[in-house]
Amino acid sequence: MLSYILNRFRSSIVVLFVVSIITFFVLMIIPGNPAELILGTDATPEMIKDLHAAMGLDRPLYQQYLSWLLNLMKLNMGKSYVYGESVTALIARSLPVTISISIFAMSMAVFVAFFFGMISAIKKNSAIDYFSRSIMQLGAAIPSFWIGMVFIVYFGVRFKLFPVSGFVPIEQGFVKSIKSIFLPSVVLAIGEVGTLLRIIRSSMLDSLKQDYMDMARVKGLSAGKMYIKYALRGALTAPLTIIGMQLAKLAGGTTVVETIFALPGLGRLVLTAVEHRDIVLLQGLVMFITSTVVFITLIVDILVMFLNPRIKSYHQGE
Amino acid sequence: MKKNASLILGIILVSIIIAVWVLSFAFMPYNPNEMNIPSKFLKPDFSSEHILGTDNFGRDILSRIMYGSRNVLLVGVGSVTLGTLIGIFLGAVASMFKRLGNGIIMRVMDGLMAFPGILLAMMLVTVVERGIYGSIIAISIFMVPVFSRLVYSMILDTENLLYIKAARSYGSSKVQIFFRHYIPAMLPKLITQFSSSIGSAVMIETSLSFLGLGIQPPFASWGLMLSESRQFFLVYPYLAVAPGIAIIITVLGFNLIGDGLNDILINRRSHDE
Repeated sequence: MLSYILNRFRSSIVVLFVVSIITFFVLMIIPGNPAELILGTDATPEMIKDLHAAMGLDRPLYQQYLSWLLNLMKLNMGKSYVYGESVTALIARSLPVTISISIFAMSMAVFVAFFFGMISAIKKNSAIDYFSRSIMQLGAAIPSFWIGMVFIVYFGVRFKLFPVSGFVPIEQGFVKSIKSIFLPSVVLAIGEVGTLLRIIRSSMLDSLKQDYMDMARVKGLSAGKMYIKYALRGALTAPLTIIGMQLAKLAGGTTVVETIFALPGLGRLVLTAVEHRDIVLLQGLVMFITSTVVFITLIVDILVMFLNPRIKSYHQGE
Repeated sequence: MKKNASLILGIILVSIIIAVWVLSFAFMPYNPNEMNIPSKFLKPDFSSEHILGTDNFGRDILSRIMYGSRNVLLVGVGSVTLGTLIGIFLGAVASMFKRLGNGIIMRVMDGLMAFPGILLAMMLVTVVERGIYGSIIAISIFMVPVFSRLVYSMILDTENLLYIKAARSYGSSKVQIFFRHYIPAMLPKLITQFSSSIGSAVMIETSLSFLGLGIQPPFASWGLMLSESRQFFLVYPYLAVAPGIAIIITVLGFNLIGDGLNDILINRRSHDE
């Protein structure tokens, strides 16, 4: 068991190492001299050369990479030239927004998906099964920016139920804060709920076919106990993995929604970095986001191992 | 029969988009980029000359939707095709040369998979030129790990089967075995993945264009049309209707075909009896 965890940990480190190489070298191909970009058009060649050297850009690439990597480990990701602030500070400031909408969105998606996924599986091929599956197919095909715009028109402007842009931190009032992230979170949830529902339905169907379900029936358990204690428990591992992947995806996939609702989160930061070719900022963001993804995946894998006795005993047997 | 409902519906939806695409070469009501300020913000009206109305520059929305279908299909199909070919190649190489494969190629694929959502595509458009070809390159790299992993794992699953061993024993080369035995065995999964990947590629393309990182103005793309309508849609919501529906039809169509093929070609029995 411990060996499984160590193994997973080691492969996570390898993935992050690979990501750091990809990120560093891909962004190094960008045409143009960063020193020129920072100093603007009226810089003299000497100034550019000095800054170039000061930024360490005259060293061989592998040396630049190693020193970047070392700084990264010390959480020193350099300074963004667009904002003139340290990347770490920028990330720390934007993170609460992205975390709030991601977690809020995933909670909604999980709730809806489990509810309808279980009903769909229990009442297979019923009207409600077809209905929920068709709605989810449609949900996966609707672009988030479009549904976001529709929401703004109806819930923001026509009915004035929610603010249409901006983020209210939780210190300025809980209700206000929830209201400011409600619409963006619903938009994100719509994009995720379909995949999750499908996985829940199919693993529930699998679980319902197992022998322990006959046993539960023979014992004369109530429907609620039978479905939740037995069927759902057996059907939990696959959805859990997917939930982890979706949370991880939202860590870097909220750009569109943050843009529509003008939320100052990580996604907006990524967009700004891409638009202005702020390499230092983009490198820092990419490393931060992918590390989060890898970390979440690792945690979920370990959780799944504890939940699933088969994986546990398999690795104990090794 | 109802098992194929998603496939049939998917084919119908994709046919609509392909028909629009074909029509865009044969007959387009107006020049999609021609501005005509006096007739701006005309509401959709089936009896008028502009069926879907006009935008803030007085450009005909129907023509822009039709023209946009070219870009969307070119980027969608182009990027997935490119990604599939590179993915198959890398997956095959990785499975033939295990040490190089497992050590380098598949690790790079793991690394690429760690980029969530459109982050990888966004990072790549920073490097390549923005526009149709930039989008194709960025999205195809996004697709590569999916296909290379699929091919890699399928070859590992089948390489110890008897008919592969037999082929090896009478002296078929690795390349021969690959084309004669592996490719036919993998085809169902590849086709299914190909179709659903087009759905996601279209989604990424429209998202990139919406963010201003994909196809550049004045060229028409559905994502770009939605992005341009953002300033006006509170007053003229109809601006966002046509491009939104066009995107939904395309993505839904390819996703449904993927699902339908999955039921027919892969899980023949596991689905609803």
